[in-house]
Amino acid sequence: MEEKKPSTADILAKIRAQKAAAAAAAGDVPAAPAETPAPATTPAPAAETVAPAPATSGAKPTSTKDIMAAIRGGGAKPAAAAPPAAVAPPAGDAPKPAVAAAGPRPSVQDMLKAVREGKVGAAAAAPSATAKVGTPVAAPPMPAKPVVASKAAKPASARRSLAVVATVASISAASFVLGFAVGSNLLIALGACVWGVLMTPFAAAWFSVASIGGIWTLGTARFMFPNVLVEPPSKFKVGPLSDYPINTVSNKWKDQFGVWIVHTDQYEGRNMIFALTSVCTHLGCTPNWLDGEQKFKCPCHGSGFYITGVNFEGPAPRPLERAGLRIAEDGMLEVNKSVKYQEEMGQWSDPTSFVSVV
Amino acid sequence: MTHLTHNPDLTGSVIFGLGWVYLLLFFMNIAWTKRSLALDGICHTGLGVPYAALWAVYAAMLLMISITHLTGWDTPQQFSLVMPEFLKYPINKASNPVAFFVGSTTIYILMIVLRKWWTTPTAGWILLNLSILFLALSITDYDFRQIVGKPDNVPIVAMLYIVGFFTWLYFKKSVDNDARKAAGRPLLEQENAEKVLTWPDLVYTELVCMVLVTAVLIAWGIVLQAPLEEPASAAKTPNPSKAPWYFLGLQEMLVYFDPWMAGVVLPSVILVGLMAVPYIDFNKLGNGYYTFNERKFAVSTFLFGFLPLWVAMIVLGTFLRGPNWNFFSPYEFWDVHKLELLNNINLSELFWIKGLGQPLPVVPQNASFPVQAWYIVCREGVGLLAVAFYLLALPNLMAATVFKGFYIKMGFLRYMVLANLMLMMMSLPIKMVLRWAVNLKYIVAIPEWFFNI
Repeated sequence: MEEKKPSTADILAKIRAQKAAAAAAAGDVPAAPAETPAPATTPAPAAETVAPAPATSGAKPTSTKDIMAAIRGGGAKPAAAAPPAAVAPPAGDAPKPAVAAAGPRPSVQDMLKAVREGKVGAAAAAPSATAKVGTPVAAPPMPAKPVVASKAAKPASARRSLAVVATVASISAASFVLGFAVGSNLLIALGACVWGVLMTPFAAAWFSVASIGGIWTLGTARFMFPNVLVEPPSKFKVGPLSDYPINTVSNKWKDQFGVWIVHTDQYEGRNMIFALTSVCTHLGCTPNWLDGEQKFKCPCHGSGFYITGVNFEGPAPRPLERAGLRIAEDGMLEVNKSVKYQEEMGQWSDPTSFVSVV
Repeated sequence: MTHLTHNPDLTGSVIFGLGWVYLLLFFMNIAWTKRSLALDGICHTGLGVPYAALWAVYAAMLLMISITHLTGWDTPQQFSLVMPEFLKYPINKASNPVAFFVGSTTIYILMIVLRKWWTTPTAGWILLNLSILFLALSITDYDFRQIVGKPDNVPIVAMLYIVGFFTWLYFKKSVDNDARKAAGRPLLEQENAEKVLTWPDLVYTELVCMVLVTAVLIAWGIVLQAPLEEPASAAKTPNPSKAPWYFLGLQEMLVYFDPWMAGVVLPSVILVGLMAVPYIDFNKLGNGYYTFNERKFAVSTFLFGFLPLWVAMIVLGTFLRGPNWNFFSPYEFWDVHKLELLNNINLSELFWIKGLGQPLPVVPQNASFPVQAWYIVCREGVGLLAVAFYLLALPNLMAATVFKGFYIKMGFLRYMVLANLMLMMMSLPIKMVLRWAVNLKYIVAIPEWFFNI
């Protein structure tokens, strides 16, 4: 009957049989407490006896399927063992057989179980924790007192421990620094010891999160200061005064620098040249200068501006902005886009916002 | 100047395509004639012929028109079945933003008042035929074709038909249910309450729809190419520069409001207001069935915000706004240099200069902030008072008068939310009317603080 390679159906059948055996074992517990050690200690034979499929435990597992089947069978072991162990109150040392049942190599489930048991044990040992865990059952006559105690104790202790951590951290850091400053090896050692105590996994995790986050933030901030800035210069020469006849708008620099050079005598009756930035004051589109209508007209929402830059139609709430303009040392007009002059703020009377023509 | 000549650029392919449209319309009307013969009966006023005979004559005319298009397309310049000038001229003359807004609002009101008439199948069919005929005739106009036939805009035409159909469907079912309620009969939803299974009834329907939509999208993607424009440039804004079609209502709003108001405040109010609707709605009727009579206020308020103020604004922005955001009538050439004088003035200027005959209070040079603020508040006092009256006093006045019943039923807080949402919605048409009537730019204009209402 020994087959080298059992089929998938066989493996499935075996697993089902093992499951059934485990279920049967669990169901048997209340009825026959005497049997509890049996499935707990020897789960593999129990499964084997029920399984009609070719037994692989005796033979050496050769194929991958066999190994998988063996692992699956082994995986079923603790599951089968656990319920009797957990629900057997008469046996005083119930957890121990459960751990032992796993054999020489305890599975993860067993380890978890053991850890949990240990925790409960520790909780039972600590008096403050007993109040919390055992209150509903253990202290029926005086229910109010333990509840209050546990309520008060928890946040207070948490706060205290935080304060302690903070104090210890500052002391250890201070002793570190102080040790280096003074040159005392004792202080450094002390600081290192306290620091070692402080560096719990929790603290370490948060420390690394904070530091990585900080590095990223700094890295992002670095982008605000690029090595090379590709944008037109804010100061540029636009040629001599004579290039701009009166009552004309020059589109010459619009594409490159976003300004119109306007020469007009219509603003307050003064003959002047100024630079208007080609940004609509409504929503920032670029208006067009319509020579026939003698106005700037924005294509987005129909705002219109006179040649002076003052708004008169459409939704634009204020006049176009001027850039700085002056006559440079070589006699050329120089636009300075780094400053802007707003009419509604009274800034157009600033002498650096225009060049008077005489 | 080619656009001024008679049907320029009317190409053979346009005529040929229209031939197919008329042929399709012919087949649709053949089916309708069959339905009419079975259901409509005899027309008693005239010769006593069945109504179906009239539809048959109409369908026959469509067939002839279709044949004319399909055979006469090779001489487009002599083709005479085009939009007649005597129709174009009055439409062009009557087209302006005021007429458009008043017209769309009137249609909206008529839609509610005449709901019993236009939701009958025959009326719906007549309206559909008229709209298709209008569209087909208009396509022969060069300027109309340039705008409506643009691949970008074709889906918006489709959307209009979909909106129209669903509005019609809602009103049809509501009218039916309201009549049933009045007669004491069970509602449509109660009478047809039989249930079907999700599988296969719903899932099969969904599958069929999915296949159809995919096919339509593929055909659409192949037939109508997505137009690409010139490369973007910071110094050059396309003219006209249009938002995506679904935001054209907002773009139209931006013409009348400060960007902060129309771009941020009002859209937020729209969104939050729609979310608040379930909480301010105290009317428990109309739950799970179509009705108009039981939810008159809710339905007409919503539809006013949706149809004249949103969909109509999309139509206005898509088809009728041209270069420099000027208004162009449907058969008008999009002239970049069209001159439209709009000397807008603020309310403060109206009040101080026109009303009181004195100059605006000017903030003295180098004034401290309180002095500046005092001068500005003085200058804009009328506007600030008007806005305060509108938003603070008007809800209370309405609570005491027109919305008295609402106020009692809803309580203070819910009523105030409702009243303010209503007033916010009405601020758009009010501002539009003020702009058109007195060229009002801003009620409160404080450019110093970037605050304009």
